[in-house]
Amino acid sequence: MGREVSESCIDGLLTEMVSSYCNRFYSNTPELAARRIEAIGYQVGHQLSERYTMERPRFTDHLEAIKFICKDFWSELFKKQIDNLKTNHRGTFVLQDNKFRWLSRMSGDPSVENGTQDPESKAAQAMSMYLYFPCGIIRGALSNLGIPCAVSADISSLPACSFVIRIKV
Amino acid sequence: MEEYPEELRTPPVALVSLVGCTDHHPLISSFLNAEQPPINTLALPDFSKITLLLSKPTKSDPANNGGILKRDWLLKHRTRVPAVVAALFSSGHVSGDPAQWLQVCTDIENIKNATRPKNIKLIVVVVQSSSNDEISEDRMIALRKRAEIDAKYLVIFNASDDLLLKQSLDRLRGTFAELANVYYKDEGRKIKTRVEKKSFNSHELNVRYCFKVAVYAEFRRDWVEALRFYEDAYQILREMVGTAKKLPLIQRLVQIKTVAEQLHFKIATLLLHGGKVVEAITWFRQHNVSYRRLVGPTDVAFLHWEWMSRQFLVFAELLETSSKTIHSNSNTTLGTTDLAVTEWEFLPAYYYQLAAHYLKEKRTTLELSITMSETADEIDSNAESVAPSIYVGQFARLLEQGDALIMQSLTDEEYTHYAIAEGKRFQDSFEIIALLKKAYETFSNLETQRMAHLCGFHMAKEYFGVGDLSNAKQLLDAVASLYRQEGWVTLLWEVLGYLRECARKSGRVKEFVEYSLELAALPVSSDSGIQSLRYKECGPAGPASLAQREIIHKEVFDLVSGETGLQSIEGNSDLQVNGENPLHLEIDLVSPLRLVLLASVAFHEPVIKPGASTSITVSLLSQLPLPVDIDKLEVQFNQSECNFVITNSESPSAAVSSGQQGWRIESAPSLALVTNKWLRLTYDVKPEQSGKLECIYVIAKMRPHFTICCGAESPASMEDLPLWKFEDRAETFPMKDPALAFSGQKAAQVEEPEPQVDLILGATGPALVGECFKIPVTVVSKDHAIFSGELKINLVDVKGGGLFSPREEEPFSMDSHHVELLGVSGPEGEDESPVGPDKIKKIQQSFGLVSVPVLKDGESWSCKLEIKWHRPKPVMLFVSLGYFPDSNESTSQRIHVHKSLQIEGKTAVVFSHQFMLPFRQDPLLLSRIKSVPGSDQLASLPLNETSVLVIGAKNSSEVPLLLQSMSIEVDDGVERQCTLQHSGMDLLSPAHLVPGEEFKKVFTVIPEVESTSLDLGSVSLRWRRNSEKEDLSTSDAKKDWVLTKHKLPNIKVESPPLVLSLECPPYAVLGDPIIYLIKIRNQTQLLQEVKFSLADAQSFVLSGSHSDTVFVLPKSEHTLSYKLVPLASGSQQLPRVTVTSARYSATFQPSIAASTVFVFPSKPHFTTTDMGDNKLESI
Amino acid sequence: MIVCVAVVGHQNNPLYIQSFTEADDALKLHHIVHCSLDVVDERVNNPKKSGLTLNETFLGLLYPTENYKVYGYLTNTKVKFILVTTDLDVRDADVRNFFRRFHAAYVDAVSNPFHVPGKKITSRTFAERVSNIVKSFGLSSAG
Repeated sequence: MGREVSESCIDGLLTEMVSSYCNRFYSNTPELAARRIEAIGYQVGHQLSERYTMERPRFTDHLEAIKFICKDFWSELFKKQIDNLKTNHRGTFVLQDNKFRWLSRMSGDPSVENGTQDPESKAAQAMSMYLYFPCGIIRGALSNLGIPCAVSADISSLPACSFVIRIKV
Repeated sequence: MEEYPEELRTPPVALVSLVGCTDHHPLISSFLNAEQPPINTLALPDFSKITLLLSKPTKSDPANNGGILKRDWLLKHRTRVPAVVAALFSSGHVSGDPAQWLQVCTDIENIKNATRPKNIKLIVVVVQSSSNDEISEDRMIALRKRAEIDAKYLVIFNASDDLLLKQSLDRLRGTFAELANVYYKDEGRKIKTRVEKKSFNSHELNVRYCFKVAVYAEFRRDWVEALRFYEDAYQILREMVGTAKKLPLIQRLVQIKTVAEQLHFKIATLLLHGGKVVEAITWFRQHNVSYRRLVGPTDVAFLHWEWMSRQFLVFAELLETSSKTIHSNSNTTLGTTDLAVTEWEFLPAYYYQLAAHYLKEKRTTLELSITMSETADEIDSNAESVAPSIYVGQFARLLEQGDALIMQSLTDEEYTHYAIAEGKRFQDSFEIIALLKKAYETFSNLETQRMAHLCGFHMAKEYFGVGDLSNAKQLLDAVASLYRQEGWVTLLWEVLGYLRECARKSGRVKEFVEYSLELAALPVSSDSGIQSLRYKECGPAGPASLAQREIIHKEVFDLVSGETGLQSIEGNSDLQVNGENPLHLEIDLVSPLRLVLLASVAFHEPVIKPGASTSITVSLLSQLPLPVDIDKLEVQFNQSECNFVITNSESPSAAVSSGQQGWRIESAPSLALVTNKWLRLTYDVKPEQSGKLECIYVIAKMRPHFTICCGAESPASMEDLPLWKFEDRAETFPMKDPALAFSGQKAAQVEEPEPQVDLILGATGPALVGECFKIPVTVVSKDHAIFSGELKINLVDVKGGGLFSPREEEPFSMDSHHVELLGVSGPEGEDESPVGPDKIKKIQQSFGLVSVPVLKDGESWSCKLEIKWHRPKPVMLFVSLGYFPDSNESTSQRIHVHKSLQIEGKTAVVFSHQFMLPFRQDPLLLSRIKSVPGSDQLASLPLNETSVLVIGAKNSSEVPLLLQSMSIEVDDGVERQCTLQHSGMDLLSPAHLVPGEEFKKVFTVIPEVESTSLDLGSVSLRWRRNSEKEDLSTSDAKKDWVLTKHKLPNIKVESPPLVLSLECPPYAVLGDPIIYLIKIRNQTQLLQEVKFSLADAQSFVLSGSHSDTVFVLPKSEHTLSYKLVPLASGSQQLPRVTVTSARYSATFQPSIAASTVFVFPSKPHFTTTDMGDNKLESI
Repeated sequence: MIVCVAVVGHQNNPLYIQSFTEADDALKLHHIVHCSLDVVDERVNNPKKSGLTLNETFLGLLYPTENYKVYGYLTNTKVKFILVTTDLDVRDADVRNFFRRFHAAYVDAVSNPFHVPGKKITSRTFAERVSNIVKSFGLSSAG
């Protein structure tokens, strides 16, 4: 296609979207905000997968589709591939990106970093809001490929991020 | 296919004729017919017949009449023109008198004359009646010459015995087959030359010749040539469509198509029989493409469609019969290339379905033709006299002229009249249904459900057309459900239109209303992206459009209001909704009428306190095109006291009629449902009863005699609206609050009233394994009296595993229960005796039910639970009390109080044991020295020697314990194989053992039997808690000693071959010499060679040999004697001896403890006193 | 001539269906399109038997019926495109080309942020593009 998008615009849009939903529309119900952000990601993923799979033969199994997400799809979105793919062969896949672009300009709460990990901490919670959007994208892309699934994200050490895909049977 | 004549349907069979000797004919005929390939026979009784048969005049030049194929040509070769004539003569006649011989000659001559011009082959058969019937050679030669035939065609037929008969028959058959083949080949070649030389003046003849060549080839079973010539004929015929001019246009087309049909049939049959399924299908495709556009003039178009339908039908039948024999179409490759044959083209059902389609086309065009011809109002009375002419596909008028019938050719107009008159005679609907049914069944079996349902739909339309409404409805319902499921709205619209008409015609008001409402609520609108369809093809519901929906909406609401009946129904005026015939519709979760009315109900709070009011929102949505006013809404719950009614304040009529069983009445300013807009109503409910409160129905009263009962749905789990979910419409939430819209539920939990009773579990400290642990449970009533109280006791493993099944790591579980509820002892003070078994209903060892007596306000009651731990394990104890605060159980509600307590089970005492050998005596225990790694690590003891066993019991609990006794007991039924004694006396009074303290007791063991694994029995320890409180309690508590058993490990007993004993004084004094004896005793019957060496010791000066080899005689002792002078005081190590037995190649040393001695600096002075009592040895 | 094109969604529901005939056979074409889904199902479930290679998106001729030929195409996202034509001789390359252009138009239509996934396509631009593609069908296989 050759069209280019300013990265800072995307970053700004993402930040603004998260802050709008978390602080303005659903400030007292974070789970609803998460749901809305995920839904936006879902639609984006749904539509992108339609375009990026256009010229290729159909996938025969789940793994092929997941590999597509890891390679071509990720490259289109982030100009890099997923660094590590793991599976338990029973419908769970873990996609690890060692330098997730949308987290590369974020830093965690230093008190969290040197102390023990506290999932309830405010910084981690705020960070997780930014991950609903990429989770939604993955879920949207996969479900459009006929694989209904649940996607969650895990940030153990910034800016690495792993996405856990559980395929519903 | 059935309508084809036999001679066309089946492959040609050679025909031969038999003449003379009539009595043999049946035998020969049946034999020839049964053989493979079969030969048909034409049996003629006498020789005059054959000349009659063959001399039938045939027209010399058929070309002038313009036909293509003669209708009877195939039949003629089947039944009248034999390829071979066999003249049978009895041997008697042949070799008989001159008169007979003359007769034979005449007959032969006649036959020759008859057959020769037609090139029919001749065989002469001489029938011998017996085997010894000799015929002279001369006569035979004469006969052959007469008949002018080869010797091999003069056959002798002998039927006198079976073997000869069989031979004769075989010979006859071989000759027949050979000659028939020659005949057909000759005939074929004759015509083939005509084709090759193009010696004909018309295409018709060309086609005919090709056809004939092909048929002759078929007679010879030369399928390849047959196929080639049929195909040639077909191609030439196709070219004739534009060129042949001999007949008027319509009849010309009819003739060509009829001939093409025959040729195609032949080709398809040959291909299919040859297993060339794909070729046959491709050929049929070609055939279809070539002719399907040759419709001809409109007034006879129906003939074309009928012809098309027949092509499909016949091909379907051919495919069906051949697929029974050939299953080879699986290996044919399909592909995406254009020439590929698709899956369905292998299915006869596919052709049946298309045959039905073309038959329908025929019916429509026929109806059109009939109306056109009726306006011309000429009913031709002469139509009956039209009959098929002698040519295939031609018709002519039969005119009687005296005896003879004369064929007169027809004009196209006459022919058209005739065809229409013929067409009227047939009822096509049933034919169509039959065809569709075949297709429907096959497609259903193949699970190609959409095609099957399309066939079903077409069938239903036919049934509808002929007035069979029940069959139609059944099929339509199935079709409708498929279209609903897949969201094909326009198709559904058409189907529902038919269903609505079925309901209208059969006078079912409810169904009529249901289908009408569904139609009106379908997502059809002019801007829906799906083209608006024209009126004509939309079936009885009219065009699918918003306007039409509104019309249907109005129509149905006029009907349910009672304003109009359905006047449009023929002969049925009773379709009305009024007081006598009220109408009540139900809509559930799967009903297609959810489009019409959807009720979403949500409680604002998931948990409600009894007696407190909470809000509930009832939201209604309708997709009907016009606004609907609701008179009254009833909201029904599972607790009927909560039901309430919402009336429309704008509608006064509703207010009057709403006196329903004292239900609460709410009023709403307006109850108008607007298309695709939620009507949200929020009211309070005040539940009194605890438990689940669920909204079940919302009943909307639309008109005085029309109600819709709609199942309530939770917004959280609401399914998308079927059909509308694919539409691009504004979607709103049923609830304003988005949280409620996502998670609202139609059911809420009503809490129980607050219990006014205390339940106290008093437990002291952790429980000890083995003891019967008592937990007092006290019920104190504070504000409520307690009636029918019941305590439920439940023990649950804290870690989640079972309490009962032995764990994998504990395979030696003695008891099946690790923790057990033993019982409940009665309330203190009230009744001394424990609660009888009738009062405690023990269901399982972890579960109990105890009934609590009636308690008045302020009273209390208590009991003790007895729980026994068999394993150290934490346990959660759940106790729940259920009671009624009122004596009247029916009005009051049961109230529950729950308490739980985690109790640790701990081990009270930990046992340890230790074996000790006799002092300064070391037996050579081979197993101890040469222990095999990995083998059992049993302690080994010397046989018949006294060993010491020290058993310790350590208090591992946190409370002081009292020990009563410790003993070693042997398991029942096992004879003890060793002497076990304990050195001291039994405990006179219980010993106190504070936490961490260990009690030790010393036993002596003398094994009496050599054994690799001797059972020592187990230690029994009697103990109980030693607490100040229990000292005060009743005396029976003292008896309540807990017995804990500990299994001792097995030991190994062996007799030592050598025993090393050291002898030295109990003490030494610095500087005083002492005697140190080392005795090596040989206990075996063998001479033992023993090496010994003595290590130097720093603290002693010694005299004696350091090392040597000695021989010890059997059963004797060798003594090494040393004199030592101690050089240092204190506990000193004696010089250590190392003994090596040559026989056992084993080295052993006395233990360090055994070889020490205490050296006093100067001679001590001792006073000895008698130790009267046995003190506990404590560490 | 192409008489009908359709887009069919995951649940075999029509997302877009447009016929290009003057005659009154739109409903019949709907039926034809609907039945063709049976063949699509069969091709996809038994790829070996139908000889499809490499899970190609183009499914080829689904079935001929009456005067029509029905072609199918299945995207990676399980959306089906159906083409009904009356042409006797259809070149495979033409159909492939048609479907490729149609797919591109479809992707553009559903990438519209105002389009909700799974709903019918109501875009007028899409309709215009489709009618252009239909008009140019078979004119040049190069384009």
